[in-house]
Amino acid sequence: MFVMHKENTIIRMFRVSKRYGKMEALHDLTVDIRNNEFVFVTGPSGAGKSTMIKLLYMGETVSEGSIIIDGMNMDRITQRQIPMLRRKLGVIFQDFKLIPTKTVFQNVALVLEIVGVRPKDIQGRVTEALMRVGIDDRAGELPPVLSGGEKQRVAVARAIVGEPKIILADEPTGSLDPDSASHIFQLLRDAHESGTTVIVATHDQQMINTGHGRVVRLAKGRLNPEDETRSIAQEMDS
Amino acid sequence: MSMLEAKRALRDIKNNKVLNTVSVLTISLSVFIVSAFMLFFINATDFLDGWRKGVRIIAYMSDGVSEPARLALIDAIKKTGQAEDIVFISKDAAFKDLKKKIGEQSSLLEGLDQNPLPDSLEITLKDVSRSPAEIEALAGRIADLPNVDDVEYAQKWLHRFNGVYNLFKITGGVLASIFFIATLLIIANTIRMIMYSRREEIEILRIVGADENFIRYPLFIEAILQGFLGGLIGIVTLFLAFILTVPGLSTEGAFSFFEMRFIPLKFSLAIVLCSMMIGWIGCYFSIRKFLKH
Repeated sequence: MFVMHKENTIIRMFRVSKRYGKMEALHDLTVDIRNNEFVFVTGPSGAGKSTMIKLLYMGETVSEGSIIIDGMNMDRITQRQIPMLRRKLGVIFQDFKLIPTKTVFQNVALVLEIVGVRPKDIQGRVTEALMRVGIDDRAGELPPVLSGGEKQRVAVARAIVGEPKIILADEPTGSLDPDSASHIFQLLRDAHESGTTVIVATHDQQMINTGHGRVVRLAKGRLNPEDETRSIAQEMDS
Repeated sequence: MSMLEAKRALRDIKNNKVLNTVSVLTISLSVFIVSAFMLFFINATDFLDGWRKGVRIIAYMSDGVSEPARLALIDAIKKTGQAEDIVFISKDAAFKDLKKKIGEQSSLLEGLDQNPLPDSLEITLKDVSRSPAEIEALAGRIADLPNVDDVEYAQKWLHRFNGVYNLFKITGGVLASIFFIATLLIIANTIRMIMYSRREEIEILRIVGADENFIRYPLFIEAILQGFLGGLIGIVTLFLAFILTVPGLSTEGAFSFFEMRFIPLKFSLAIVLCSMMIGWIGCYFSIRKFLKH
């Protein structure tokens, strides 16, 4: 019953619904995201943006429908395979989700330790990632002493250090000042330009108006009809 | 589990110094309390056993018992199979001993026409025959033998002692069980508290792709280390307290038969091992709960 995994499509959400009790957070959502695409998921509060991101990193499971990420069907994924899927992703949150008792370096290095990279190589790769986001001078600090913008840069470094195929960002600039927000957006664009698929859930219009990526609009858990029409048109084209 | 996991565990301990110190101290306090009770119980049992070993039966003989009759009496007591040693104390020796014991007041005895004390046999009992019931039965049998006028043993003391001894053993067993369960719960809850305070860290680890073993192993190592350190600190502190206070506790005089001792090394090691195991068990259940979600 599932739609075939199309070439160049890295994420396919097919008729996905998510319910929390009687409340429906997402309704019958079908979205395809192509490899190396930059996608903004936007909409008012409660539109289902964060739920969509959660479903993609398997922080939640779908109530109905199916999701395929890089060829892995989440319906058939076993408990043991979930970490494998997550290793293909870099996830960035509005509240940063850094471990406060680990240094900046250790927070970023975790991703590589998990996949068993040798300690010698970890040193180089983490330093490089921290340099890319411009926070290498604070490698030995603990997150609580950093500013919001700096914390988010560490989170971006953690998301890119493992060279994931996909970066998911849930309101990455939501709690940042305009300068820091613009810096974080630039880092996400850099990641996209180096070949990563980037999905950003945001209601930051300034970011969306840059025209850097496709916009998926959600309202009350449903896809905006305009986007839906565009999606069908894209399918017909391909 | 590999060296890498052990290194990560050590790094985590360093990163969570306060939390780990608090849990190690909580564990060591629990171990200290339970070990102090054990120490008291071991020594109290030793003391009571020592006192019980000192119980003898004195058989007072009739006047003018001939030597063959005395030997026959000793033989009859030996045949009961419950006497370890039988010492004959002549009435003269008993009189001299009495004089010596009363010291300056011995002049009171000088007015006596004759020695009023009888010949006697002092019977030391075998280990297996030291229960109050057996002592009482044996004393009765000896009293019925010919040429025995009377027998004496610490009847009243023995009954009281027996009651105290049994009560002590029962309450000791119950208290030890309560202490053990309390310690187990304290240690397990301390570990659980640590897990709870680190639930966000565990959640982050999962989001960035850590599998369960990556999360679990360092936590196990940490819990076992905490158990080990807590157990060791608890038992070493108790040992220090013991060697600092015990020389001041004199066991001379009436208690000269008894010497205080520390918890045997084997038991001390078992306590530390138990503490490590409880750490592991506490961690196991907490992790199971957190990883389920």
